[in-house]
Amino acid sequence: MEFTIRAANVDDCKDIARMITELAEYEKAIDQVRITQRDLEQDGFSKNPFFHGIIAEVPEPHKTKEGHAKVGYALYYFSYCSYRGRAVFMEDLYVMPEFRGKGIGKALMSKVAQLGLAAGCQQLNFTVLDWNKSSLDFYLNQGCTDTTAEMGYHYMCCKGEALEHLAHGQL
Amino acid sequence: MEYKLRKAEPKDVPDILRLVKELAKYEEMENQVTLTEQDLLEDGFGDTPFYHCVIAELQPQSSDGLEVVGFAMYYFTYDPWVGKQLYLEDFFITQEYRGLGIGSHIMRHLSDLAMKTRCSGMMFVVAENNESSIQFYKRRGAEDLSQEEGWRLYRFDKESLVKMASAREE
Repeated sequence: MEFTIRAANVDDCKDIARMITELAEYEKAIDQVRITQRDLEQDGFSKNPFFHGIIAEVPEPHKTKEGHAKVGYALYYFSYCSYRGRAVFMEDLYVMPEFRGKGIGKALMSKVAQLGLAAGCQQLNFTVLDWNKSSLDFYLNQGCTDTTAEMGYHYMCCKGEALEHLAHGQL
Repeated sequence: MEYKLRKAEPKDVPDILRLVKELAKYEEMENQVTLTEQDLLEDGFGDTPFYHCVIAELQPQSSDGLEVVGFAMYYFTYDPWVGKQLYLEDFFITQEYRGLGIGSHIMRHLSDLAMKTRCSGMMFVVAENNESSIQFYKRRGAEDLSQEEGWRLYRFDKESLVKMASAREE
């Protein structure tokens, strides 16, 4: 199937918001989504973007029955490893179910890898849910390492009330 | 003991690298540090910084000058469900000066910064065998997303990145 991979622009935010919701549903966490199309426009496409996007698009004959041509996306940002330097973090990678198995996911990830290397990155990091076998298989097939298993790294978060208490000095 | 927290400047790069190496030694990964002072200078103090740094400085009893005794390296990330986050990449106080409240102060400073910049959370990674650090963070209300939600961290190294970047369409 023909498809194109390109950098996202501000006009893609409606479809990105749609697909973020679809991915959240797949990850069984739809009630956690607070982001709006407007947030994405401001946070991704102003002078100092907090993320970058890649879009996978199909031509007219392959659009979904709802008329969607944008069928996959990747969201990434640059991070830093204090041991090795510049790194890229792939925050989201998603292809609509009916378009999977056609190389779109690989092509999106390849684009993120290209852009990361062009920016001088030494590694690409991302997270996967431990029950998500099909994604785990997809990634392991590409030669990645599970750093949670290998190094015992746990991903931690301080948010909401805990973050407020921390900021105001209450233990 | 009096100390000062301040934003890192280019002149602090040698001390930042020294502390990065001290932290690496503590994590038993000293030989994995390939970063140089030049990298830190370009990446932290150029037009588009890849990281930000806050350092703790004090005057040791034994000398007249100031010594950098702790640092935190952080950057901003993005959670597509809730927006901006502050990511704490490295956080370390030289052993001699622990227990004085410097670490707590740095955490307070960073979480205050996170709130001021409208971040919904502060994220970081801890090795599961690092009991003292895990307790330090859990006491402050941190959640272990790997344990509680099943998130696992994965990495592609440079070699795999190059392979992926040049992969032909099937």
